[in-house]
Amino acid sequence: MLDFLQSLSDGILFGATYALIGIGFTLVFGVMHKLNLSYAAASVGGAYCGLLVLKLAAGAPALVVFFCAFLAGGVIGLFVYLACFHFIPISNPLAALMATVGMLLLIDEIIVHETDGMPLNYPALFDDVMLRFGEFTLRGDLLMVFAVSIVCMAGLLALLYRTRLGLATRAVSQQAVAAQLCGIRVARVNALTFIVTGLLGGIAGAMIGASVGTLSPLLTTPLTTKGLIVTVIGGLGSIPGAIIAGLLVGGFESVLQQFRGVTERDLYVMLLLFVFLVFRPGGLFAPRGGRD
Amino acid sequence: MDFYFGLAQIIGVHTLLGLSAYIVLLTGQVSLAQAGFFAVGAYVAGMLTVIAGWAILPALAVSSLFGAVVACAVGFPALRVKGLMLVIATLAFGEAVRLFFFNFDYQVAKGGVKLGPLGGEGFRQIRYFPEHGWTTMDVMLFIWTLVALAMGLLWWFDRSRYGAVLRAVGEDELAAQSVGINLTAVKVSAMTIGGAIAGLGGGIYAHYTTHIEHASFGILLATFALAYPILGGLGSVFGTVVAAIFVQGFLVEGLRFLGDWRNLLFGALIVLAMNVRPKGFLDAPTLLWIRRLFGGRRGAA
Amino acid sequence: MNKISLAVAAAFAATAFTGSGALAQDKTIKISGFGAKTSVVRSFGINSEAAMLAAADQINKAGGVKLADGSKAKIAVDFLDDGCNAEQGISVIRRIAGSDAVVAIGPTCSNVAEPLFGILQKKAGDASDSGLQFPVFTDVAIKVGLAKISEWAFRNVPNEMTMYSSLFYWLKQQHPEMKTVFGGVEEDFAHSRATWYVVMKDRAVANGYSIAGETKWLIADTNFATQVREMKKANADIVAISAHPFSTCGVLKEMQRQGVKPKLLVGLTSSSSLETLQGCAKQAEGMIIPTSFAPVTKEGKAASEATAKFKGNADLHSMAAWENMFILKQVMESEKISGNPKDVQADRRKIRDGLAKLKLTHGLMGDTKRTEDREADKPYLFVQAKGGNWTVLYNPL
Repeated sequence: MLDFLQSLSDGILFGATYALIGIGFTLVFGVMHKLNLSYAAASVGGAYCGLLVLKLAAGAPALVVFFCAFLAGGVIGLFVYLACFHFIPISNPLAALMATVGMLLLIDEIIVHETDGMPLNYPALFDDVMLRFGEFTLRGDLLMVFAVSIVCMAGLLALLYRTRLGLATRAVSQQAVAAQLCGIRVARVNALTFIVTGLLGGIAGAMIGASVGTLSPLLTTPLTTKGLIVTVIGGLGSIPGAIIAGLLVGGFESVLQQFRGVTERDLYVMLLLFVFLVFRPGGLFAPRGGRD
Repeated sequence: MDFYFGLAQIIGVHTLLGLSAYIVLLTGQVSLAQAGFFAVGAYVAGMLTVIAGWAILPALAVSSLFGAVVACAVGFPALRVKGLMLVIATLAFGEAVRLFFFNFDYQVAKGGVKLGPLGGEGFRQIRYFPEHGWTTMDVMLFIWTLVALAMGLLWWFDRSRYGAVLRAVGEDELAAQSVGINLTAVKVSAMTIGGAIAGLGGGIYAHYTTHIEHASFGILLATFALAYPILGGLGSVFGTVVAAIFVQGFLVEGLRFLGDWRNLLFGALIVLAMNVRPKGFLDAPTLLWIRRLFGGRRGAA
Repeated sequence: MNKISLAVAAAFAATAFTGSGALAQDKTIKISGFGAKTSVVRSFGINSEAAMLAAADQINKAGGVKLADGSKAKIAVDFLDDGCNAEQGISVIRRIAGSDAVVAIGPTCSNVAEPLFGILQKKAGDASDSGLQFPVFTDVAIKVGLAKISEWAFRNVPNEMTMYSSLFYWLKQQHPEMKTVFGGVEEDFAHSRATWYVVMKDRAVANGYSIAGETKWLIADTNFATQVREMKKANADIVAISAHPFSTCGVLKEMQRQGVKPKLLVGLTSSSSLETLQGCAKQAEGMIIPTSFAPVTKEGKAASEATAKFKGNADLHSMAAWENMFILKQVMESEKISGNPKDVQADRRKIRDGLAKLKLTHGLMGDTKRTEDREADKPYLFVQAKGGNWTVLYNPL
């Protein structure tokens, strides 16, 4: 029983990293109704950029690294928007999708060229803290990641519902044409959405680097898959849904691993996902109404 | 010359992979399960020639059949969902197939050597072609005969009523339904045909690489299956071939002399291609232009 | 139809044009290297290429290779990237076979080597087998027992069976009080998986250890809490980790978090590289790994410095590429290859037969025995991670 609880809590805590990636996917999808497959790679790319600080000033504190990752994420986000969305007509969703695949490969390969593909040590906060309750333990660094994702969610919701940019963003997501008629510059809103999700991605990448302890280009594919899974389970476009789905996926994964072993873990995760999607195609928190 | 024949083999098999996604894309569905059907075909055909000692053609026929059956079975539930949900549902299925083969052991001792798939270590020595003295050119001609057949079939579909129905569903499901088209039947049939083509491609893949393992059939392969028809354009089956030549012949092989820069250009050129030709290499105006060159019998695309 | 076939032909021509157009000058012997210079294994390709260039440079400065007619030829090296992908690897070897290269050194990845050896002719000279007739002398791909797939395939990679056998024997001598071994396996990578199940586990038991348990993870996993808890419960004296640097580091960091401190840590041969130390030098402290290279001999040091000049690191993999170059030079001279572009296929056959005849080769760490199934039995030593470096712990030579 203790084992079960421990795996469940380990998994749920680790799920916080999935949730962070999921939020970014879901935000872009919510606003533009398009899929940005390069998002997880861009996030990891942002985290790598954070490491550049350590090259310039060895021994810089972890928070500075995280902050640089945050900024770099925003820049990469804008770049992805310009390369994959701005110039491709809205009537060609497949072309934009494939462009983001190209971008995923490009970012991956830039990382490989810069680091020779070697894993790099990533600084962390609270990585030596372990909360102990008898046999039961909780990782301090993951609790921090957990807290960060809650803060990010709150920040995003505040941005969406308390600012003019948020109002414009929501208007574009509901009816792009109508928003344009009201004088909202749709392209600018879209670009800003990408910058915001990019900033968020930078944080997500840094948190993932911190919780894993190491960065490697190996991370991008699994994170892309996990981020997509979290997005659909949470319900497309739902930010709280993405967080809960992230924690759920993490928990499920960890428990299945304990009971079925690592080789069958992903097999069951995928089968469960398939069944879930077929029987509940709207996800946990499907937004009512809206487009498409 | 062998090198070019070998490259043509690879392009042929990737064309089949792209065609399997092409027909599904015509109905407006984005499927990431094609790599899964491809894997099923690869393992089935490999086991038939290596363990059961079958000849290549019947083995490929059965692998194609298996691909079709699996695609049909997964098509019914999966095609209830649309859009991104379908992308993820099919991705989940494709990954589940790959992970099944990751856990799949079936080895038979033959002449003191154990043959067959062995989980994570893969399935080696699928050497039907070299063992039967096929030269690289023979194999290439064999593959392209099959590719031509598959393309001919799809080309004929495109000209028939069935093709019009597929495209009608892809353009506007509601309108298609309101003129009496059975959406489920159309989508599942497209998925089944796609599965058959992917199964065939996988069967050939197993034989020209001689060794298969689960890792070869991951998300990357599934993405490439989609990339060929999207890069090439959905207007014609020839778009997929052009894209397979562009990716495998030019981006992968043609740029090899660039060394370190090749892979950086790979992603960048895909991004560029989609910006410059968002409807694919062979989009409607290009197709029209090509048709005009052929004598201009038909004016409209 | 005309236009399309024209376009197809044009595309073919384009690839043909960019293909191998190296000029066949006389007095040059071409040796092609190939391996991964993309994706996470990029460093392997870079190091192998540097070692090959350095070795060729050294051979050429000493005059080059002596040919059958008594003249001397220079060695030319090129290196092709296969992306660690089976199809690309096959394509690359066909490209090399279509050029005037007499032999190839590579590949990096076992999942490329296995299909690649499959397309080679199984038995040399068997006319009924239409497989490719081209000698390949592998430096890196290490998965157990691959060279037996084809008589044209040769490897100069460490024999993990011997190395781990010797390591566990030595550990038993040094620390007789330790009794149990716990294994951690990176389950979805052919090499690491085979090394635990076929090699480490078997060799540990043979040397009197009992297996306290094993746990598995995947190469791109990020969360190792469950596995490390199993490890903690087993409380074994020795923890053996058969995994590549990225997941090795992940596990080591989780062990630190959960406070798992085994008396000894044993690692996978391939992790005795710079990568592990870049990822987690602090946590890897004390890890013992058997390897086939460390710059301890005079020759080893010189090779290591020469490779550094070509911007590569000397490790067990790249130094195998170095050794291969010198072994090939010796074989080319003893088999009296002609070096004429028109006799290139005959030269390849001579090189294959020459390699097959070898019983003993000279390596940087001492003599290497060649086995019947075209594998090497290389000398080895044990290294330990100490203060961010790999230091030699024991040298059985």
